[in-house]
Amino acid sequence: MSDEPTMDSDDHRPVAGEYVLGVLSEAERRAFEARMARDPRLRAEVEYWEERFGALASEVKPIDPPPHVWANIEAAIAARSGRGSLWQNLSFWRWATIGSAAVAAVSLMVLAYIARAPAPSPPLIAKLEASGGQASFVATVDSKNTGMTIVPASVPAVNQRALELWLIAPGEKPQSLGLIEPGRPVHIAVPARLVQGIAPQATLAVSLEPPGGSPTGQPTGPVIASGKLTNL
Amino acid sequence: MDAMNGPAGPSASIEQDAACKQLVAALARIAGGDRAALRQVYRDTSAKLFAVCMRILHDEAEAEDVLQDVYITVWRRAGTFDPARASPITWLVAVARNRSIDRLRAGAARSQTLDEAAGVSDDAPSALDQIESSDEYRRLMNCLGELELRHAGAVRSAFLEGVTYEELAQRMNVPLGTMKSWIRRSLLRLRECLEQ
Repeated sequence: MSDEPTMDSDDHRPVAGEYVLGVLSEAERRAFEARMARDPRLRAEVEYWEERFGALASEVKPIDPPPHVWANIEAAIAARSGRGSLWQNLSFWRWATIGSAAVAAVSLMVLAYIARAPAPSPPLIAKLEASGGQASFVATVDSKNTGMTIVPASVPAVNQRALELWLIAPGEKPQSLGLIEPGRPVHIAVPARLVQGIAPQATLAVSLEPPGGSPTGQPTGPVIASGKLTNL
Repeated sequence: MDAMNGPAGPSASIEQDAACKQLVAALARIAGGDRAALRQVYRDTSAKLFAVCMRILHDEAEAEDVLQDVYITVWRRAGTFDPARASPITWLVAVARNRSIDRLRAGAARSQTLDEAAGVSDDAPSALDQIESSDEYRRLMNCLGELELRHAGAVRSAFLEGVTYEELAQRMNVPLGTMKSWIRRSLLRLRECLEQ
């Protein structure tokens, strides 16, 4: 086996057994996975050790997870399948509590923002809502549609995932507008090619993505809030 | 049904074999978009996978979040599961462990937990009632038994808790290089033993 370790060498390339045991650092794990993607023998080695060591998992005493875990899974899958069922599934939003004070504060901030930046045409605005009509984010578009400010009305439980903002023009695929922050307002510059799409009836949506954003250029995680742009 | 009694070997119990077949069938249905099948797999396996995540992460909220990811991954990638290459239980445990280890590494700066301070001794196979009778498990235990006690302990801790070489070395109070050579030598010897 070409990947057997050399006993007397201090630095070596990690072998499959070490990967499966889980002793490697994050960087070593990523590097190993990259090698494995190119080398079917490494993949087979990993499967070999997963099967052998997997038996140890039988020692771990089962612990029932709390019921909301399944509710979240169901909701995320409903969102993925692209049907409207997410909006009917209140369980997904159990965690999303929004205090009325937060909503009031956001409304004030938005009004203050609009007052400071008088626009020649009525400004575009979108309330990005979870189910039940609760505002999760408020987006206000700059006067020439070249940017927008996203203000969070509540801090969603994102747990080390990134929040990515998408523009969906009617009948078009989602286009990424970049990452936003769960806990503070963010100003986003709209790429020139997307400025035309910033119009009434276009939808803004926020999805949960891996750190750094969607690897595919399309939303890969659940959509946690969305809303249509309208003229104020 | 406890579908997680370990991979079904050729002479595994009939119950295990049936549970394994049910899981394979359910995964095939999930690949076809059957949500009821996902629910069934969740019902039969989530307590085990949650425990696997908890063992690695030592944090309920983190483990819940990872468990969610695990079943969403199962939903998306059930089509890549190949029953000719792995048992369904092995596959599910591997997904849960990989997600948990990645999460653990991502939050590596967090403070050490009390369990970690307790060292590795609690990983010794103590309670008889936890010891499963699958052929695969027995074979592994026999081969681990041929290793030096501390080496076998390090291997078990690594697998069950997903800790790095550095942490293992610290816990067992040996230099990093020593720990690496223990694990690598153990892997070679385990392989020889398992293939006899």
